[in-house]
Amino acid sequence: MRDAGTNRLPGAPIPARAGIGLRSPHHEDVATGQPDVAWLEVHTENYFHDGGPQLRALERARAHYPLSLHGVGLGLGSVEPLDRGHLARVKRAVDRLEPALVSEHACWGHAGGEHFNDLLPLPYTEEAVELLATRVRQVQEFLGRQILVENLSSYFAYSASRLTEWEFLAAVVERSGCGLLLDVNNLYVNSVNLGLDAARFIAEVPAEAVQEIHLAGHRRNRIGARDLLIDDHGSAVCAEVWSLYQRAIERLGPVPTLIEWDADVPALEVLVAEARKADTVMERSRELAA
Amino acid sequence: MNSPPDVPALAELQARFAAALGADLARSDDHSAALAGCIVDDGLAPEARVQVYRNNVRATFEGALARTYPVLRRRVGVAHFASLVEDYRRDHPSRSGDLHWTGRHFPEWMASRMTGTDYAWLADLAGLEWACEEALLAVRSPPASADGLARLAPEALANTTLGLQPGLRLVGSAFPVWSVWQANQPDSAGDAVDPSLGAQYVAVVPGDDGLVLHSLPVERFDFVRQLAAGRTLEQALDASRLPVELLGEALAWLFGSGLVTQVGAPPQDGAGRVQAGIGARGPT
Repeated sequence: MRDAGTNRLPGAPIPARAGIGLRSPHHEDVATGQPDVAWLEVHTENYFHDGGPQLRALERARAHYPLSLHGVGLGLGSVEPLDRGHLARVKRAVDRLEPALVSEHACWGHAGGEHFNDLLPLPYTEEAVELLATRVRQVQEFLGRQILVENLSSYFAYSASRLTEWEFLAAVVERSGCGLLLDVNNLYVNSVNLGLDAARFIAEVPAEAVQEIHLAGHRRNRIGARDLLIDDHGSAVCAEVWSLYQRAIERLGPVPTLIEWDADVPALEVLVAEARKADTVMERSRELAA
Repeated sequence: MNSPPDVPALAELQARFAAALGADLARSDDHSAALAGCIVDDGLAPEARVQVYRNNVRATFEGALARTYPVLRRRVGVAHFASLVEDYRRDHPSRSGDLHWTGRHFPEWMASRMTGTDYAWLADLAGLEWACEEALLAVRSPPASADGLARLAPEALANTTLGLQPGLRLVGSAFPVWSVWQANQPDSAGDAVDPSLGAQYVAVVPGDDGLVLHSLPVERFDFVRQLAAGRTLEQALDASRLPVELLGEALAWLFGSGLVTQVGAPPQDGAGRVQAGIGARGPT
């Protein structure tokens, strides 16, 4: 069992170790500081309300673990304006929960007044870079802090794209001052779905911007003679993703790494064991650097 | 890269994508084809790739309603629920990046479809489940002690108001919706409920370990509803059908359930103090 030490109080920085997502089946164990993981992440939108069991569990867990808030609903790259009400609720959650990291996605999500509640891909164009960077700056100004932007998993590539995915993200970082959340599973999904060169992505992404990594599982769908990977966060991290993660850590050094498991959530021990594997990769990297 | 055949501006691209994801499936098929023209064709049909997003959006919307309306879903069956949700989405697409709100119009939408049919009770059941959703996420205030009431002089008692938990929800129905709700919890068998049980009046009470749903006598339900609207004890008694000899029992229930958060005097302007967020539906 963990102590509620001062380094783990609300607002404490997230160490370069592995964390897990806080999910309702594990509320009680995590709230009392049982699992030996370094930090927690939750979806920002689940904490927009003033009460409820989720909020009460997180308030308790904050005494034991640093926290990251991961948003899924802003649709930063939507051509339509940001939903200011949604952004205000994000700020309220940030002010209340004092996370060490706040993140969102390099996606769009609403048009014509309708929200699709999905992470929809942007074309990698100058126009999209400028729009996304402008929106990230607006959010950072409103929140009074830097945010991280996560690379997406995608099921198609736009013929309009003129940049590689890493060039696109690097340009957004340069123009907005945001950090990056590198989802290694999304890299692998895109390598199968779109032919992305994942190794090149890891070699080219602006290393100093990467402040968090996500690891997750995916589902493999067979369509005709082709596989299409669906990023469902419903299984263990696969061998190929672990291999890419090792490559990423070799280049970036240890980075706070989340085991992201949102569907068919397993026993807490399974999540902790996955986190331990990520910690082992980072420990080896430290030993090599020593 | 080779020069693509179709390079729309970002606004046009998102408009095409949005149209392909829309709830009107007959029309979105055409839009899906238009979007497919903007997608790299590497041997896997672009329409099949677009279909992944269409499936995701539909499943996410349905999943949000399934989490809010599990009892109704169990009663009508998974397939019929999915069909209802698809129709509902056409009338009430998501207007927020926060999925919580997707189901807020479902009870009134169900009422518009079911009133006058043998399934009118489903709309009231939806109303009860939405009340549960609101109650669960409301802030909880520290309960007040009944001692405050006991210390009041008898002449002050009549003019006293009671502040109630913001999460309290009151749902009245001509149908036995409380019994249906009880019979369809995850650990219940889902037995059919006898409609002749008739009207039920439900208080949804948030607690430390989740929600507790009480089926109240109509007189007590009316009394609590009046209190929730800011009436004094005397006004609430007068306006409800609660016999004065049952007042002590009703108050004991309110305090015992942790529902009273404040014992106080009525507002100076004489207006009823209406608590924000109390969604009381009267007996029908």
